[in-house]
Amino acid sequence: MRQFTFVVDVDRCIGCKGCQVACKLENDIALGEGRNKVCTIGPNGTYPDLELYFLPTMCQQCENPACVQACPTGACYKREADGVILVDQEKCVGCGSCRRACPYDMIRPNRELRMADKCTLCTQLRAAGDTPACVRNCAGGALHYGDLGDPHSEVSRLLAETDPQAVHTLQDFGNRPTVRYILRRDHWVDVLPQHCVEHSAHRRGGRKA
Amino acid sequence: MNESLTVERYQKALPNLGRLGSWTDASALVHQAPRPEAAGDQIKVIKTACRACIANCGVLATVKNGRVVSLRGNPEDPMSKGRMCAKGLSGIQALYHPNRNKYPMKRVGPRGSGQWKRISWEEALDTIARKLMETKETYGAEAVFCSTGGGGNPEIWSIARFCNIFGTPNWFEPGCAQCYLPRVLAYTMMYGGVDPSIADSNALELYFPDETPIKALVLWGTDPSYSCPASGGGMVVDLRAKGVKTVVIDPRFTPDAAKADVWLPVRPGSDVALLLAWIRYILEHKLYDEDFVMKWTNLPYLVDVETKMLLRAKTSDDPNQPDTFMVWDKKTNAPQPLEYPWNDALDPALVGAFQVDGRTCKTGFQLLWERCEPYNLEKAGELCWLDPARIEAAIRIYAENTPSGLALGVATDQTPNSVQAAMAAATLDLLMGNVERPGALLQRFRTSGCFDMPNYPVPIAADRLPPEQLKKRLGYQDHKGLGIWYAGHPSSILNAILTGKPYQPRVWIDRSGNKLGATADSQLWEKAIHKLDFIVHVYMYPTSFSAYADILLPSEEWLETDMLVETCNTLMARQQVTHLWETMDETLFWSKLAKKCGELGHEACKKAFDPAYMGHDLAYWDSMEEFLDHWVGRLGMTWKEFAAKAPIEYLPRDQWRSYGVYLQPDPKNGGKPAGFPTPSKKCEVYLESMITLGRTGKPFSPIELEPAAVDYDPLPYFLEPAESPLPGSEVAAEYPLVLTGGRVPFYHHNTLRNIPWLREMYPAPELWIHPQAAQTYGIAQGDWVWVESRRGKTQAVAKLTQGINPGTVYMERFWNPETLNTATHGWREMNVNMLTKASAPFNDVVGTYTLRAFQVKVTRADAPPDGVWLDPEDFKPWLPIPAEPTREVQV
Repeated sequence: MRQFTFVVDVDRCIGCKGCQVACKLENDIALGEGRNKVCTIGPNGTYPDLELYFLPTMCQQCENPACVQACPTGACYKREADGVILVDQEKCVGCGSCRRACPYDMIRPNRELRMADKCTLCTQLRAAGDTPACVRNCAGGALHYGDLGDPHSEVSRLLAETDPQAVHTLQDFGNRPTVRYILRRDHWVDVLPQHCVEHSAHRRGGRKA
Repeated sequence: MNESLTVERYQKALPNLGRLGSWTDASALVHQAPRPEAAGDQIKVIKTACRACIANCGVLATVKNGRVVSLRGNPEDPMSKGRMCAKGLSGIQALYHPNRNKYPMKRVGPRGSGQWKRISWEEALDTIARKLMETKETYGAEAVFCSTGGGGNPEIWSIARFCNIFGTPNWFEPGCAQCYLPRVLAYTMMYGGVDPSIADSNALELYFPDETPIKALVLWGTDPSYSCPASGGGMVVDLRAKGVKTVVIDPRFTPDAAKADVWLPVRPGSDVALLLAWIRYILEHKLYDEDFVMKWTNLPYLVDVETKMLLRAKTSDDPNQPDTFMVWDKKTNAPQPLEYPWNDALDPALVGAFQVDGRTCKTGFQLLWERCEPYNLEKAGELCWLDPARIEAAIRIYAENTPSGLALGVATDQTPNSVQAAMAAATLDLLMGNVERPGALLQRFRTSGCFDMPNYPVPIAADRLPPEQLKKRLGYQDHKGLGIWYAGHPSSILNAILTGKPYQPRVWIDRSGNKLGATADSQLWEKAIHKLDFIVHVYMYPTSFSAYADILLPSEEWLETDMLVETCNTLMARQQVTHLWETMDETLFWSKLAKKCGELGHEACKKAFDPAYMGHDLAYWDSMEEFLDHWVGRLGMTWKEFAAKAPIEYLPRDQWRSYGVYLQPDPKNGGKPAGFPTPSKKCEVYLESMITLGRTGKPFSPIELEPAAVDYDPLPYFLEPAESPLPGSEVAAEYPLVLTGGRVPFYHHNTLRNIPWLREMYPAPELWIHPQAAQTYGIAQGDWVWVESRRGKTQAVAKLTQGINPGTVYMERFWNPETLNTATHGWREMNVNMLTKASAPFNDVVGTYTLRAFQVKVTRADAPPDGVWLDPEDFKPWLPIPAEPTREVQV
């Protein structure tokens, strides 16, 4: 079965957040929203013995997606052709069920269209033979995408040559996330993206950017 | 799945809409609704190059029906390799920003009132030129001064060129002695090649990670992940991935510090003490490259300890032949001349003091050892707030994994110890022989030959400045190292404005972002502004500085400009992707202004348009195409032909990388090795020419100047910051914390604070503070705080982190475009330069003032400053409004 998803070489992420802006530019995302978010994990430890890494997060393209199950209209579905979870704009009623169901807060509102919005792995670019905007612009070369169902894909090969001890996923609530994180040198910290605050200067609610 | 559940039925079935509220707020927060492509759309992809910072990353810009709709990296750029960062990707928001300066404007209300009237370019240029001419005739050309810097500029040499031709010696930038010049100066004088600044697009050896044999990289006061993520940031990632060891010296636990083998969180301002400890350790443990040090540095040469000058057996009148210097020959136990390049019959002493003709002489090596001898690991640990064992581990990584390299960043340029830090850093790589060999950062690779000036093609026309005017350059007498960039000294200009001594500057033309955000002790500059007769501000959008200007001129965003860009072995074209309103390329603006001055009778400005008279200084140009045609003409192409083909590789990589240039036979010198472009043709670790510079201005001044008040030191020395946190410090009793600065990846200098996508990620400057210090001062995570120095106070948001020493705080630069039209004009709320220090002590050689390493106190603030924008929705008024392309203004 085909499963397109991200494999993130966390050791290569330098936290520049270019992927967030690349996504916004490509997909016309509103202020205060975003389909991806680079979380700063750390510094952990005591000065000066510290660890810190950056964790790019986005839809985890779950095998057993809670969002799809929660959707009352069938708008939110896992596409057979590539395993990518999409929202059918014709069917979405903007009820927010998928958003509440996602354990990673990775479904966001598109207020303009009154619908759910999420990472599609840049369906429109892939259809044209291109790569997702975040992958293409990743300064550190941390973001990889491809088909985990194909053992010859770049992502499958990357995982095959990596010590399984160094391969992590976000916490699995039974939804079986497919995004893989490779972290070789630091200790993995089990956090959820919605709990990571990147800048504390916002006053009035909204999403922590 | 319930197939019959239609949208309509579902909405009716909803029990309450509370949760929906936030989903259905249809305020327009996107810059444009996605538009399906229609038949007949005109779509072009233009290969250009970014200028959101100085990294020049290659870009593919998509233009649809005349509007720029998309940007992506160009994989043909060998440095950025198709990647772009947050700054560059925000280019469309900068281009179509609703608050762009669109037309020339003249002030009609009192200064600061924000009342403006649109005028024509003709009227603007005429008004400015008349004021310049009137000022020149009444007070002398030196009463006019110009400035640049602050980011966002396509090149910097146009300002200096205009000043030289107009006849004023006074241009400055807040960078310069505070940013990059100290490093350029030291490396140029010591080995004559390119400095190793990654953020300034050097260290080009490293951009082909599969090909470089470098084994250890030291990042000293630089974090490429922050400063140039898409080029240098990615490059360092590639090196680490292939096993290159890294050491990071930075007060902050930066992304590159987090991934380093050793992180040394140095006390801000103590870098030279640490560098001297590195040198000492390497000398003590004989870890240096002895053969290189002996044969290719001047360290075996004898120095007269009284005069501090090298002993010469013979001086040379032939510029191709160096003087012949003396060594102490151990075989004959006597002083002997060492004929360049080397004499195998001699056995020169590296260490020791000797009597030569009744004078005490020491080798350069001996003097270097004596200079660094007090700085053992324990001493450095104490001065620099570091663990001696970690210092040793870091030195061992660097010295035992050669070829290695030390990339020195801007941090040390921002304290009065600036030039000495660069000299000490250069000393390390030269001792290790990390020069012009594969893997080394210090190189003289080939270039395209399209430029005569470094980095930017505009010729500076330095010889056009009359010598009597050069002598009036403010601050130059004491800080002659500024001569390498032909620049004036900001604090001396500031003091002249405030005191009228030695004369009164009256007219200021500035082409930069926000001088009140970028210069030290901003409140003093505001006082100075009110003493001026006339101010012109040229920029892409209004800043705090604009509020005080008399004329505002619209310059082009990078997507509107053309420029030739050299990147490794490739030449790229920054190409005009669109042109909006009445904006003008600044490279053209200065030419238009010179033309107008010529029409009003300025002889030198008139002659500056005569190709025969200007010669290699190039006559001024009427269009960018004419200007660029000249430079790419060297490739046998017109600009249009070049732009259609660019990027082009001007040399294959293996020919471009010219290792060991110093070993190539020099036909002009009887086939002897070419050596280094220094007076002795050796690497001048004992920098005798620094003494000459201080006494005469040579080699940078075209005329001999009076000596500086104090001799410059030929060896690096440590200068404790004037405001020190060490025990016994008076200032530390009230201001206990030492402050440092540094980049974030969302902004370049003071630019881009008006970009919604960037401000929503980083809306306000963070103050990094250790939790222990935060507790002492009653500060919690996310609190608004006051940061206060002896000069002023301003606000920031506290970020509590283990990633900084409990005695150190870090604050990011900032200003607030959203409060431009209030009493603060946006520069008082969150501006670290309210705190920095523009007064002495300055660096002796180049006059650097204090932007980092001074004392502050931090207290909790009740609330953020009035009127500042913090939430993503706040930035909605700045979302781009696309505009139709316009023709260039003809004037």
